[in-house]
Amino acid sequence: MKNIIGESYEVRVEEGSSTVIFKGALRLTGMEDYAPIFELLKATLATESAQVLLDLRELDFLNSSGITMFSRFVIEARDRADVALEFIASEGIPWQARSLKNLQRLMPSLKIVLT
Amino acid sequence: MTLTRQILGHYEEQSSDQREYLTLAFSPLSAPLRSRWRNNGLSADFLGDYVVTFLPKEGDLSITTSRQHELRHSVAYVANELLENAMKYHAQKGKIPISIHLELTDEHISVSASNGVDADQAERYKAFVEYLLDGDPGDLLIQRLEEGAREGHPNDSGLGLLTMINDYGAQLGWCFAANASQSDVATVTTRAVLAPQMLRSRS
Repeated sequence: MKNIIGESYEVRVEEGSSTVIFKGALRLTGMEDYAPIFELLKATLATESAQVLLDLRELDFLNSSGITMFSRFVIEARDRADVALEFIASEGIPWQARSLKNLQRLMPSLKIVLT
Repeated sequence: MTLTRQILGHYEEQSSDQREYLTLAFSPLSAPLRSRWRNNGLSADFLGDYVVTFLPKEGDLSITTSRQHELRHSVAYVANELLENAMKYHAQKGKIPISIHLELTDEHISVSASNGVDADQAERYKAFVEYLLDGDPGDLLIQRLEEGAREGHPNDSGLGLLTMINDYGAQLGWCFAANASQSDVATVTTRAVLAPQMLRSRS
């Protein structure tokens, strides 16, 4: 699993865990451009009984194509009964307080911790 | 195109004299989409920063720092989505510039983006707008997210507009206008109005 570093963002997988840390601003042009990040996320579901944690506390901006990418990942995780998915978000980042609730509608067991 | 001008949704001409506005226009055909893309973020952030400078800092109408932060983000999000759509769907054959316009009155803040569309695109966009106006935005949003996940090549178009309505409380309106000089390309303007009550509390 590798980290992905773009001009305005960074996606890093914590060594030896299924924690993915997002930083910066994600405004890629569409699903095609989001594919490497989506694949990196999907790889966290490869292990059995996975506890997957997405840390978004430093992801200041996400465009709607990015929301589509996260929703695809949430749906992948929803289809796996043995996966526990958790998002750590920040109350101080407006898009997180406004838009993450939609992902919870897709997957009611999704845990969102607002800090 | 038989009609010279068609309005859909909530689209009122601005009449107040008491207003501040700012327009950015991008010359057509001068750069490929990919190199333009990074400018969307720059322009959107600029509009967000710009709008905050007009808010009263003191007195009864002043808003707190966290509300300013919220407002800056809302304007930047809406502007970014409108610009992304305008860049994606702009009719290349036209000589119509892509533009984004911010307007601030006592009652509201609006962000509008304009681009050229050929007749087929205009009809497709109008059909999508009708679909948006007919349904419950919350349900349409979830439906769109589910569809996006199921399709091989998900089409995320429309999600930006749905998040503006659903997550940001924006009222959307559209104006399709024929061009006198170019009969095969119309100009579409998509406007998002952010109301003050939306700025005071989260929807």
